[in-house]
Amino acid sequence: MKVTLNWLKQYVDFDWSPEELTERLTLLGLEVEGVTHLKGDFEGVVVAQVITRDKHPNADKLSVCRVADGKGERQIVCGAQNFQAGDKVPLILPGASLPPKPGDKEPFTIKVGKIRGVESHGMMCSPTELGLPDVVDGLLILPADAKVGQPLAEHLGRSGSDVVYDLEITPNRPDLNSLIGIAREIAALTGNPLRIPGNTLEFPSSGTAPVAVRVEAADLCPRYTAQVLRGVKVGPSPDWLRSALEKVGLRSINNVVDVSNYVMLETGQPLHTFDLHLIAKSAADAGVPTLVIRRAIEGEAFTTLDGKTHQLKSDTLLIADTEKGIALAGVMGGQNTEIRDTTTDVLIESAYFTPTHVRRTSKSLGLRTDASYRYERGADPEASAAAGRRCAELILATAGGRVDGPLVDVRPAALEVKTVTLRHDRSSALLGIEIPVADQTGMLVRLGLSVDAEGSNETSTRFRIPSWRVDLKREADLVEEVARLYGVDRIPSTTPRRASGSHPFDAMYDQLAEIRRVVAALGLNEAQGQTLISDESARWITPEPVLLANPLSSDMNALRPSLLPGLIDSLSNNLTRRNGDVQLFEVGRVFTKSGDTVREGWRLAFAMTGARNPQFWSGADRDATCDLSDLKGVVEEVIEFLGLRGVVVTRRTEVTPLWVESATLSLGGKLPLGQMGQMQPVLAKKRELRDTVLLAELDLDVLLARRNSAKSFKPLPQFPSVRRDVAMIVPESVTHDAVLGVVRQLKPANLESIEPFDLFRGRHVPAGQKSLAYALTYRAADRTLREEDVSPVHSKLVAGFQQTLAAVMRE
Amino acid sequence: MSLLEQIDSVKQAAVAELQAAGDLPALERAKGAFLGASGRFTALMKELGSLTKEERPAAGKAINAAKGEIEAILVGRREELELKAALPSEPADFTLPGRRRRVGRLHPLTQVTDDIVRAFRKLGFAVADGPEIEDEYHCFDALNTPADHPARDAQDTFFVQGAGRPLLRTHTSSVQIRVMEKMPPPIRIIVPGRVYRRDNADATHNPTFHQIEGLYVDRNVTVGDLKGTVEAVFQELLGSDVKLRFRPHYFSYTEPSLEIDFTNSLVKKLGKDWLEIAGCGMVHPKVFETVGYDPEVWSGWAFGFGIERIAMLRYGITDIRLFYENDTRFLKQF
Repeated sequence: MKVTLNWLKQYVDFDWSPEELTERLTLLGLEVEGVTHLKGDFEGVVVAQVITRDKHPNADKLSVCRVADGKGERQIVCGAQNFQAGDKVPLILPGASLPPKPGDKEPFTIKVGKIRGVESHGMMCSPTELGLPDVVDGLLILPADAKVGQPLAEHLGRSGSDVVYDLEITPNRPDLNSLIGIAREIAALTGNPLRIPGNTLEFPSSGTAPVAVRVEAADLCPRYTAQVLRGVKVGPSPDWLRSALEKVGLRSINNVVDVSNYVMLETGQPLHTFDLHLIAKSAADAGVPTLVIRRAIEGEAFTTLDGKTHQLKSDTLLIADTEKGIALAGVMGGQNTEIRDTTTDVLIESAYFTPTHVRRTSKSLGLRTDASYRYERGADPEASAAAGRRCAELILATAGGRVDGPLVDVRPAALEVKTVTLRHDRSSALLGIEIPVADQTGMLVRLGLSVDAEGSNETSTRFRIPSWRVDLKREADLVEEVARLYGVDRIPSTTPRRASGSHPFDAMYDQLAEIRRVVAALGLNEAQGQTLISDESARWITPEPVLLANPLSSDMNALRPSLLPGLIDSLSNNLTRRNGDVQLFEVGRVFTKSGDTVREGWRLAFAMTGARNPQFWSGADRDATCDLSDLKGVVEEVIEFLGLRGVVVTRRTEVTPLWVESATLSLGGKLPLGQMGQMQPVLAKKRELRDTVLLAELDLDVLLARRNSAKSFKPLPQFPSVRRDVAMIVPESVTHDAVLGVVRQLKPANLESIEPFDLFRGRHVPAGQKSLAYALTYRAADRTLREEDVSPVHSKLVAGFQQTLAAVMRE
Repeated sequence: MSLLEQIDSVKQAAVAELQAAGDLPALERAKGAFLGASGRFTALMKELGSLTKEERPAAGKAINAAKGEIEAILVGRREELELKAALPSEPADFTLPGRRRRVGRLHPLTQVTDDIVRAFRKLGFAVADGPEIEDEYHCFDALNTPADHPARDAQDTFFVQGAGRPLLRTHTSSVQIRVMEKMPPPIRIIVPGRVYRRDNADATHNPTFHQIEGLYVDRNVTVGDLKGTVEAVFQELLGSDVKLRFRPHYFSYTEPSLEIDFTNSLVKKLGKDWLEIAGCGMVHPKVFETVGYDPEVWSGWAFGFGIERIAMLRYGITDIRLFYENDTRFLKQF
């Protein structure tokens, strides 16, 4: 909503600077989104009155005058002869500029200076100096009724300087979509009276109505008023009207249409004007033009003012005559009855349509207008008649004509006046500050509420709510009004109270934070992926992803069932920008279907590609790229950090759309924990990923539920250990776990650990076989082991490898 | 030449040879030549036998003294030569970059969230959580947002396929309802989480973004409490020079509703007086009635703000999409 400073001042007095007004409106809840200063004509020129005129002591042709400028008196030296004391003249003040004279480029700026030894504080002006066409020898003498101190532009009806404010009106306050509504707020804040332009014309209250109105859909149109004017002369708008509309961004069309827009801005009530002669007359209604407010017929075609034709649905409210639709109620008028240059008789519509209906129509037709905006937020049903009359009056003033007949007002019933009771101590308690009862009441009364004495006592007041305040429904709403007018900035802040909250998620939050820190310390950067991904990538994970009913695009039409598609996207983002070595992780929520319900769960996922180590300038493995073991190392660190034992990794024998080589992780082979592996290179390549891509995902809900954070101290070893190495050639099918299986079965005495230290294929190793080397550490807790303690045990183990794994020992 | 004179001359020779040894093997050879089993001092010792009983002690003493002297020189010389041997053949270039290990960083949104949560926890708030797939009741109805309210525009909300019109929560405020339904007052929670709006991604919009919500319900909670807590948190987050301004606004689930603007040197640098940062207000009595709290007994406040916005302000990030692209050159900056 745009308003101007000067326009607002028509309804309420205030002496704030333009900047102060910005601040005051903002703190009232009317956020100022933009301020534009408009330069006016005759800037710095005011109406002044000559008080005395004396001869200049040093110059015959000059006079020295005392002049009133509305704020005080000034001494002016003047060379003109055509005036006398008491005359009203234009006075330009020091600092202001006169338009450049013909032939000059620069405007002429007035300064305080001495003319022949006498100071002059400004200059009285001739019409030529002001650039006015009048030809006068000397000063422009203004009429005697000119108001001293008034800007000349205002006196001449020219546009003066002004300030345009662009305000954000919150949806709960439709009443603020009007100049009067905003002025009312200022009036309430300052205590100055609100001036609502009254009707000066006599409107006939009875007589034959020149139109008939039949409301057939009262549920959508609780009130409809129509006023007829005859003998109107359509033409350009006067300057004041055109300028008022243009400043707030509306285009001037003609005097009749402009007035209806002006009154809408002034009162907030949308108005529409029809050419009366284009409305069909109906014999059934005594031969007068008849308006029928009805629902459209399904598929009914209607052409709006903007020339577009719409196929209406049967739930659209239409203003029609007996033959055709003539306006989309509350949204836009029809081309067939619009005001034209030849229009002489005008019908003014001022009505109340239900907000939900107007919103639906406006939306389904994609038509948003100033009228629909106001209706859909809620107009004031009590304002219809007054706004219609105000519109009529201004049309008569700008376009001539006369009123014909009474205002036709169709409404089933007047609205009941709502009341809300405010317990004054309640507002004090909620705001945290004592505000005297009389002050609270005063604020609310200034906003247009009135006291219902019957329901009031010393501690509480029952207020009648004015019809335009659709937002005031209960006590809390009145408390807010008190807070606004008192000023939230004046409510002192209190020190936060110490108390503890609790929630089951609180501990979970810490655990997630802990995991993030551990994984970051392992060298991976934390990512945050999109929750919404393509169903195509979601199907890599599950055949049945959770889909959106109204997606914006096919790239984002599914909820992520896993963090992996998002991480793959992030890898691609890096690689397409030639940022090659990426190691990421994410902790986030995923969405999976289980039957008819959707489960939301926490996951931890990793993605790595490219160089294993940061770039370096020497060393054998400086060009090493990440492989499965890098990924597994990170996964193992996390599992160890969480204290989980018995995690089993099972290789998947099949190739899937996402994985070329992968394994599942589970607890004891039963409870699934996640999966890890290498991404399909073909799929990876499509996303610019040329190096091996390694991915893993763990179910954090399960992991954290099984977390074992109990820690206990184990004494450091007191006695030396004995190390024995085993090197053997085994078939490819023998896994590390199979080797451990032999150890688990034989349980060699005093074996502390068994660690692989070499895996080798190729030279001296037959095809289909591999060479494995293990370091075995034996240690007793209570003595130093001797050769004869270890050898038999170790030999038995080696024999076990030979028998169970078909291993051939290497020397 | 008397034996004593010989001792002295051998000593002189030993000192000279030790000093002349250029490396450790040469030094060890010199040591052998004088102190070894067939060395010259051993030979001198053997000659002691040819001396008289009276002469012998003095000569023995002289030999031992000379040997002691030489051994001391040997130790010193050995250290010198060891040091020389340890000297690197080429000088180290300390200006070359070191061998770095990979250290990951936490996402900037995580860091900002953690900071906000820390500030609230100091004031006794607990972190709470709720589902991201919500129903219309918890996201709108229970928050006093009627069915025809513009905020419920289906254009702005993502709906999920399935029975009961499930939707992606448009704000974390739905968790207020979830928590109050389950827990009796007093309540003191903070809710960080993802929310969704049906906006196409651009520099200031992403369909997914993060909010953080605070809710405090107790007896005699006032607007003054709300202001005090918000000020404490923002001073912690944005520095003690931050100034806040509360101006009336409209949210369906609070009454009065306020928007919070802040200013500090950063805002001035951006050429602005104030920047909008959060919305807040006193919990609407209707919301209390909906969850079964008596609004005559309990009052409270809620407030919420966007985490991306705080992160963008704090780090000077101008495009929200950067948060979700995860370019490591971006992530490593925080």
